[in-house]
Amino acid sequence: MATAPSDMHLARSPSPPVDAKAVARLVRQSLARREVQLVVVTLLVFAITTAHDSGFATTGNISFLIADTMAVAIVAIGETIVVLTRGIDLSVAPILGTAALATGFLAQNHGLTPLELLPLALVIGAVMGAGNGVLVAFAGIPPIIATLGTLAVYSGVQGIIANGQEVVTLPPSYFNLGNDDWFSAIPYVGVIGLAVALGFALILWRTRFGRNVYAVGNNAEAARRAGIDVKRVLVIAYVLSGTLAGLGGLVFLAHVGSADSTTGTDSNIQLTAIAATLIGGSTLTGGKGGTIGSYLAAIFLSVALAALVDFRINPIWEPAGVGVLILVAMLADTTTGRPTLRSILTALLERPGGRP
Amino acid sequence: MTAAAGLSRARHLSRDQWWMTALAVLLVAELAYFSVGVQGFWGGGTGMLDQSEYFLDIGVMALGVGFVIFAGDIDLSCGAMASFVGIVMAELWKHGIEIWIAALIAVAIAALIGLIQGLIVTVFRLESLLVTLASQFILGSLATAIGGGYPPYGFPHSFTSIAGTGGIGPVPIQIVSFAVLGWISFLLVHRTAFGRSLVLLGHNRDAARYAGVNVPWTRVRAFILSALFAGLAGVLIAGTYNSVRDDLGDALLLPAITIVVLGGVDIFGGRGHVAGVVFATFVLGFLYQGLLIANVSQLTANMVGGIVLVIALTLKISIEQRQGGAAFAERLRLRFARSGPS
Repeated sequence: MATAPSDMHLARSPSPPVDAKAVARLVRQSLARREVQLVVVTLLVFAITTAHDSGFATTGNISFLIADTMAVAIVAIGETIVVLTRGIDLSVAPILGTAALATGFLAQNHGLTPLELLPLALVIGAVMGAGNGVLVAFAGIPPIIATLGTLAVYSGVQGIIANGQEVVTLPPSYFNLGNDDWFSAIPYVGVIGLAVALGFALILWRTRFGRNVYAVGNNAEAARRAGIDVKRVLVIAYVLSGTLAGLGGLVFLAHVGSADSTTGTDSNIQLTAIAATLIGGSTLTGGKGGTIGSYLAAIFLSVALAALVDFRINPIWEPAGVGVLILVAMLADTTTGRPTLRSILTALLERPGGRP
Repeated sequence: MTAAAGLSRARHLSRDQWWMTALAVLLVAELAYFSVGVQGFWGGGTGMLDQSEYFLDIGVMALGVGFVIFAGDIDLSCGAMASFVGIVMAELWKHGIEIWIAALIAVAIAALIGLIQGLIVTVFRLESLLVTLASQFILGSLATAIGGGYPPYGFPHSFTSIAGTGGIGPVPIQIVSFAVLGWISFLLVHRTAFGRSLVLLGHNRDAARYAGVNVPWTRVRAFILSALFAGLAGVLIAGTYNSVRDDLGDALLLPAITIVVLGGVDIFGGRGHVAGVVFATFVLGFLYQGLLIANVSQLTANMVGGIVLVIALTLKISIEQRQGGAAFAERLRLRFARSGPS
């Protein structure tokens, strides 16, 4: 889509040398897009690891790596919407956990199917997300603090719902949903995640609400003066983030097959989701990024961390890998106008001792 | 001119003071309630003092994060930093280094990491939330890698008798060290040129730059202090529990930030008072302890803490909006104005 103007330019170019330049520019422009970078790097990691160990490239492994990260990916898509408004949502972990736990109990004790429980998971997420939205938009509490508070509150709610019990035995339909594939290669949940990512990408790009999200994130005051109902946009953003965390809970439940009072918070899933959002090209300063980047980043993280294990690197280094990738992703972003490693080195070399 | 300055100073003080009065009232009410209503809380007064052992490590961490938040930044790595310092100290000790020297080296390493974090934030102009989130992940891995599954425990008496069960008279070491560090923080933030620069740049970074403040270096120093205090908290934890764990500090991060914000420090920086952080430490700490003694689960205790945070901030912001008109909107505007390329 973004490459269309360059294609036209390519077609109209009169002489071969210009063509080469245009092609080079097209490649450069594409490579500056985070989504393209993620696909390239993921394939690269994949190729290198496969060269090292041919067992890595089996369809079973690929589909597992995708299915394994889908709960994070779906949560990260919701997180992205909030981050686009220049906010942050730390409370997605207990929302995911509460949804997984509540639906899990009903599935375990009453045998309800995933489809029957989908509305419940979404409603739990939406209600909790609405709580965040009201605190941020109407009480005026800074997002990081409001969701820090609700992180504790919703964790408590999850504990109350658990009441010392846990979900351990689910109907087989859950395992099938969370772990089976189409054509034994494409995981069901991976398709669900992709549909969510594409759907919200369309909403963000093509609807008034989506444009308002970017406007609020770029400059809330300007958006307000332009007649945008900033509070409404914020509330909807947090409701969506909560709803997707609820969906993530159901996906998590189906994939993992169990849930307890600390599901979600015990693995700090909110931080992994934020990491995927940032690696996916969204910035904490708002107004920049998108859901497809976050989806791809979640898959990239899954593949990269699995590759580490494949190279016999102790899994205790996985968090460090995530941390390094966050930093690298930010430093590799050349579109923000902030100094990059290269520009700083250049400045230091040109003016020894001088401040860049 | 001086009258106006005096007036604005008085108003500024009164703004912070009403919040601290509210915290003090809350603390007294809470202590009274738990002393009367919960068996085993009062303990003749000294029992109450002893309970503070279990939360003042969070208070020390909160004082440290406070520096960073005053400057309008945030430090998500301090929980992992505390675990990391505890593990490094224990491992150095196991390898034959005198325990206090080991503690000193570990805390110095923490300060060095704080310096690196601050440099990354300021040189590359990255958000502190992002950099410290990354270093939280990295420090967590490092702590696990260095400590292994069974990090050393059972520290020598010379260490635990001071950093664990020591103290001055009936006052436990945790209170003594918290008091000393609180006093140091107070002096640094409210009585030095560094503190004035810190609060000014938190309030308005451009104004601080025009006023000749070395903005990057001041921010870097805040990160060093945060890491240093987190490291000291890690040593205190090791002494209190006579053991270390690679994830011991993780659970303290969010309570520490809660304390700073409950203490009235503006999360956007530029406003607040160290005394508020000290008060909030006791408010939240005794709240957790009282609930835990009343046999409430940890999850529920945290939930009550979260509710207190949300209600307190909602009240604070609505009262301030009524008092100061568009104060919050103005701060938001400043915040957003800062986002442009500078």
